[in-house]
Amino acid sequence: MSRVDDAAGAAGGEGARQSGRRMLRRTPDGVKPDVWLMTLFFPAWYAVFGVIICLLTRVTPPPRPDVTAADKVAFFTQHHLTIQIGFTLLLILLGGAAMTNGLVGYQMKRMSVGSVFAYGYIGGMSVGALPGFLLVTVCFLTAAFRPDRDPALISLLYDLGMLSYNGSLGCFTAAYLVLAVAILYDKNNVFPKWFSYVSIWQIITEVIATQMFVFASGPFSWNGSIAFWLAVVVFSVWLGALIVLLRGAARQEPVTAPALA
Amino acid sequence: MQILEDVQDTPRAGNIKAQWVSLWTGPVVGVVLLLAALAFPGFRPPMSPTMSADQVASFYADHTAWIRFSQATFNLCGILILPFFTVIVVQMKRMKNQSHVFAYCYLTAVVSGATIFALSNVFFLVAAFRTDRSPELIMLLNDLAWIVLIAPVGMVVSQFVLLALAVYFDDPTDPVFPRWVGHFSLFTAAAMVPAAGAAVFHTGPLAWDGLLSFWLRNGAFAVFVIVMFFVLRTALHRQAVEDRVVAA
Repeated sequence: MSRVDDAAGAAGGEGARQSGRRMLRRTPDGVKPDVWLMTLFFPAWYAVFGVIICLLTRVTPPPRPDVTAADKVAFFTQHHLTIQIGFTLLLILLGGAAMTNGLVGYQMKRMSVGSVFAYGYIGGMSVGALPGFLLVTVCFLTAAFRPDRDPALISLLYDLGMLSYNGSLGCFTAAYLVLAVAILYDKNNVFPKWFSYVSIWQIITEVIATQMFVFASGPFSWNGSIAFWLAVVVFSVWLGALIVLLRGAARQEPVTAPALA
Repeated sequence: MQILEDVQDTPRAGNIKAQWVSLWTGPVVGVVLLLAALAFPGFRPPMSPTMSADQVASFYADHTAWIRFSQATFNLCGILILPFFTVIVVQMKRMKNQSHVFAYCYLTAVVSGATIFALSNVFFLVAAFRTDRSPELIMLLNDLAWIVLIAPVGMVVSQFVLLALAVYFDDPTDPVFPRWVGHFSLFTAAAMVPAAGAAVFHTGPLAWDGLLSFWLRNGAFAVFVIVMFFVLRTALHRQAVEDRVVAA
């Protein structure tokens, strides 16, 4: 179905690159401007996401699981306004997750192992958006929507939100697994091999996090030192590394490389 | 579209046929979803967030059958709109001399956006499943249903932004879509944004039955699908001519 014949493609390509350039003057030489735009967007989105979950909505670090319904109502009363501001903002910006995951999927598609792992990553992460943070967003906003609801129902929304947010494990495990395997097999060195092992550590934290469905307090609860804080450390290393590595991967791809099939 | 006899069985003709069929699922599913929307008693007019728990409970008790029929139709047919959006993905992947990173991000957003839509009708249907539940619980399910239906606009917003970016980065000498499609897509993205307020406001234009959250959001989405049907039809016809699958 390819309509690109080489001569026309090269001539048209210069035009497209120029128009892209005008939109993004700071693209380094030899880097595809559209890939660079998404690469810059990646840390920007996570920065906004971090502000929303840590400072505004107070779901990270998480509120306690071992409290009474009255305490949970008090949590929603105390942070009512910032929960509404933060999560409404997240409802608008939610798609940033899809954009950052699509970028990782794109770089995976450039690996020598072909598309199968990239599609697996996109699939796992696409499903993960709903249990991973849409559900907590909706639960907390629904709780804040009618603060005079029966405290038992507020408590239900609190638990449902926190357990889905901290405890949606499988979608991300699947994505990290295909990423780790893809990196190990890849001969194009899109990402360095050590990043595969960081991704495997991400899977280990997801396995440990299963325990938050059992323990309402202690190190294995959803705010525990092992089930939560260890995972935060590993995730921070993983995310920080990925931000740097995506820039390297974008620089590595020649601007003249044909679009992926 | 009349495919030429001698290329009938070639892969490139198959590609055009598959896109053509997927494109036409758009209006067909659109009509089905419109009928479901007209059949849903909660849309005529949209239920107010100011209804009391007892009012909500008796609404479900009085209109059980139509709620079940319309929301089960949304459940069964809502995601059938996806093939229409995958035609957009395929056309984005035809854009010359861009990396197609936007197309993959777009696909990711389309899939995630669909999962969100798939959730809302389940809440409506569970609320209608046992209308003798306590009114407080029916109201909770109704709140969740409406908030999930209207407020999570982020995935569709990024869909429209990504389509606009792809159009702007496309080869200006031989674009797949005309440039106004980019502006139109950005406008549609902007029209979606206010609906996020539906998870906060009980009255006014931002409430889930409001002018912006309900009518502008859903109206702009419907207009986008209708306009893109004709844009895609033209783009697909051009591709078919270029691929020598139909006569010029």
